[in-house]
Amino acid sequence: MYSSAPRRAAAAAGARHFSASAPAPTARAAALASALRDGPSLDDFAAGAASGGGAACATPAAPRKKAPRERLPEWLRVERPGGEDYTRIRKQMRSLKLATVCEEARCPNIGECWGGEKGTATATIMVMGDTCTRGCRFCNVKTSRTPPPLDPNEPLATAQAIASWDIDYVVITSVDRDDQPDHGAGHLAQVIRTVKELKPSLMLECLSPDFGGDLSRVALVATAGLNVFAHNLETVERLTPTVRDRRATYRQSLAVLTGARALAPEVVTKTSLMLGCGETAAEVRQTMRDALSAGVEIITFGQYLQPSKRHMAVSRMLPPSEYENWREEGMAMGFKYVASGPLVRSSYKAGEVFLEAFAKEKAEQAKAARALGEGKAAAARGGARQASAAAAAQL
Amino acid sequence: MSLVRALLTAGRSALAERGGVAAIRPFSRALAQPVRITFVDKDGSEVPVDAPVGKSLLEVAHENDIELEGACDGSLACSTCHLILDEVSFKKLKAPEDEELDMLDLAFDLRKTSRLGCQVKVSPELAGMRCQLPAGTNDMQQQ
Repeated sequence: MYSSAPRRAAAAAGARHFSASAPAPTARAAALASALRDGPSLDDFAAGAASGGGAACATPAAPRKKAPRERLPEWLRVERPGGEDYTRIRKQMRSLKLATVCEEARCPNIGECWGGEKGTATATIMVMGDTCTRGCRFCNVKTSRTPPPLDPNEPLATAQAIASWDIDYVVITSVDRDDQPDHGAGHLAQVIRTVKELKPSLMLECLSPDFGGDLSRVALVATAGLNVFAHNLETVERLTPTVRDRRATYRQSLAVLTGARALAPEVVTKTSLMLGCGETAAEVRQTMRDALSAGVEIITFGQYLQPSKRHMAVSRMLPPSEYENWREEGMAMGFKYVASGPLVRSSYKAGEVFLEAFAKEKAEQAKAARALGEGKAAAARGGARQASAAAAAQL
Repeated sequence: MSLVRALLTAGRSALAERGGVAAIRPFSRALAQPVRITFVDKDGSEVPVDAPVGKSLLEVAHENDIELEGACDGSLACSTCHLILDEVSFKKLKAPEDEELDMLDLAFDLRKTSRLGCQVKVSPELAGMRCQLPAGTNDMQQQ
């Protein structure tokens, strides 16, 4: 009687029948033998008809036709990363427990940037952890509603690591931290300030979150002493709701860029677009016009590449010639600099030298203008900057 | 009730006499049987799989190479693991939480029997369930 429960359950699951009356191996062997005899045969498997019983087979019953995985076009193949600089930076990252977006987002340029020529290695440090509160369809970074708490030592650790490198330009980016009261704005601003304190000559670009569109938070970051404030539009307006997390919107990101420009006039603003998500050329043009109106001076275009099977499929692979067209069109439209290519990313090294020169030149011009005394306007701007810097310093 | 309990107690002690845990294994083995469910791909092709109890439909899909996105790692920040279930199975499930409903509302091709794959855990009662992948995630190809 006690055997009826397991037998019923086993039968219901369509599994092998056990004989529960005796524990001896011979009885079990007999049961197994009968299952083998009465169950699916090799011919059944070969014909794809062996679907009886859940325990019989551990794989899909019928062979599946999988769509052939397209190989990446020639221009997207990259060399495997390696070399002295790459290895040195990798070790440093681990020992200082720093996360790089290069690794977390599986950027194809990691070998090129970290192993840059003549020691021009550039890395994009990701602060506030390696886990984001948002889940955008193009991004490989881990997502969670409750990422680990912020590390109060991070600003100093980051600054020390960066200061110990022989680099002239660093990009600092972060995940979204919608779980924090200020979305992490204060923490990010502190990272920027500390880096600049330890190495004032270092050119610093921050690829910033949208902080939910709150301009007081944007101000904290934009006025923390950086040289370039970047915030990515990612894609055209029509595709934004499906490509980005719902908490990010096209208009909100434009407002962040406009706001940063107004709050920190000397800072260069920058944005980036992924191409190949299904956008039309007309839509790209409109996005470029919107960015220009927001005061953006640098724009980059790169090919969207699917980081893993769990992410959005690529709609189109644009050939290098089209990227070149966008670069020319962008320059003609009035951007100060356009970086455009299949593997170009927001912080790709290609524009670094120019950005360096450009940002330095801008800072110098602004200084000269102030020295000449542009009148109350300059004084007022300077006062406003000092006030916001003071407010930021109090945090 | 007490008769059943008596029988079960007798059974359990009898089993225990015969060798402890190894003898009790038939119960847990029955419970741990993989569950046969079928994914229906966008092109209509059917993929029967054996799903381990307790895993989410999203995990099962990924383990069987089904092209189901999971952009937010199951944190209810997107609707890319949207699946359309058969009515019978759908009714067996516990009602979705508000957070899941919020994200489901934004899913493309939403149906009465839609659920997010990351929120549905495989259980034995779902044997025979059919999970249809929706036609698309949005009008991405509009040119």
